[in-house]
Amino acid sequence: MSRKPPLLVLLDILSLVLILAVLALILFFTPVEAVMGPVQKVFYFHVSAAWAGMLSFIIAAAAGGGYLATRRQWWDWLSLSAVEIGLVFGLIAILSGMIWAQPIWNTWWVWDPRLTTTAIMELIYLAYFILRRGLVTPETQARLGAVYAIVGVVTVPLTFFSIRLFRTIHPVVIAAGGSGSAFNMTPPMLLAFFTSLGAFTILLSDLIWHRLRLAELAAASQEAHR
Amino acid sequence: MRPLLRYLKIIGGILRKDVQVEWRGRQGVPVMLVFTLLVVFLFNFTLQLSPDLQSSLAAGLLWVSLAFASTLGLNRSVSLERENRALDGLLLAPVDRSAIYFGKMLSNLLFTLLVALILLPVFSLFYSRNMLHPGLIGVILLGLSAYTSLGTLLAALSIQTRTRDVMLPVLLYPLALPILIAAAEATRGILEGNPTGALGSWLTFLGACVILFTAAGLVFFETILEE
Repeated sequence: MSRKPPLLVLLDILSLVLILAVLALILFFTPVEAVMGPVQKVFYFHVSAAWAGMLSFIIAAAAGGGYLATRRQWWDWLSLSAVEIGLVFGLIAILSGMIWAQPIWNTWWVWDPRLTTTAIMELIYLAYFILRRGLVTPETQARLGAVYAIVGVVTVPLTFFSIRLFRTIHPVVIAAGGSGSAFNMTPPMLLAFFTSLGAFTILLSDLIWHRLRLAELAAASQEAHR
Repeated sequence: MRPLLRYLKIIGGILRKDVQVEWRGRQGVPVMLVFTLLVVFLFNFTLQLSPDLQSSLAAGLLWVSLAFASTLGLNRSVSLERENRALDGLLLAPVDRSAIYFGKMLSNLLFTLLVALILLPVFSLFYSRNMLHPGLIGVILLGLSAYTSLGTLLAALSIQTRTRDVMLPVLLYPLALPILIAAAEATRGILEGNPTGALGSWLTFLGACVILFTAAGLVFFETILEE
């Protein structure tokens, strides 16, 4: 099979350097937030991971559409890769959020729209894997997986909206904080924040490409054994 | 006008067939009904509910039991088509697949509505609160339409898996969450006399869900069932 593309090697190095740079920015450059203290610094990775996860699921749905339109296996590999990587980023977002919530909200979990939507999103894509595992041929896996990824991505904003509607009508106990709206960011914070977003986006594309290559290699090796 | 008439006739035909099968076998609706009552009883004792139930709890209880009942009905509706490979016969018919979707969806809706209409007086009796409100029946119609339009689509997905009986809830519940939230909130609004004025937006939301998921069913049903 083909050797590792040079662009992918470049992407590997770029992701590593950027993540380290963001880490340095967060640890040494950004100020300690006045009210929340050092734990606020989890915010940079937290929001970036949530962003990467969300983006990944949108890519999965778009690739699902690509598969249904062209029926080329490659699109399904892309869709599957994006779901796998997206699940991991979603989990990172939830866990890092919990680490932040424990000292700030004094609880690991609240049923806020963002938290609940992220958790439901994880459950939708876990169900996606269960669905694929239950199907026999790669063709049905690809076809039905694509349908589920598309319908799934449509319901995520609906869930968010329905919980938000529900919470804004209720008296809100805990202000919808979590990310940027809770405090005003100073310029160093903004710099670290946007660098982190960019670094995670590049890391995401790097990981999806690796996973995609794994799928291609697995298919090629299976072909060779036949 | 002709093709539309033919289309409606096909939908009616599938609906009639399902109703006929149910009428002769009586294996769907009674099971759903008994199951729903059991869920109500289980909730009552595990959650230690008081007879003067809060309306938010009543609304939640009603919708969780309806969601369970509906899942049972959906599973039954598709497994019926798998027996004796009836689905193949249905798919061989020279008709638009979306008409099959509509027919199955309507029969599922009909059966679940029937269960809901029997459940409402029972609820009123157990929890000394009149649930036979015309507005509430409207909410149930709207909520169940949204739920079954999504459920029928996912049931067609789940029958193709090896573990089809347990697959549907796992696929359906995370996607159906917004529908259930909206339906429960609209029900609460009706029971409390709409104190927050939010009822209108919940009903609009449910209506949008019906349109969206029916459209998804129309678009994807053909893709799901192709061989």
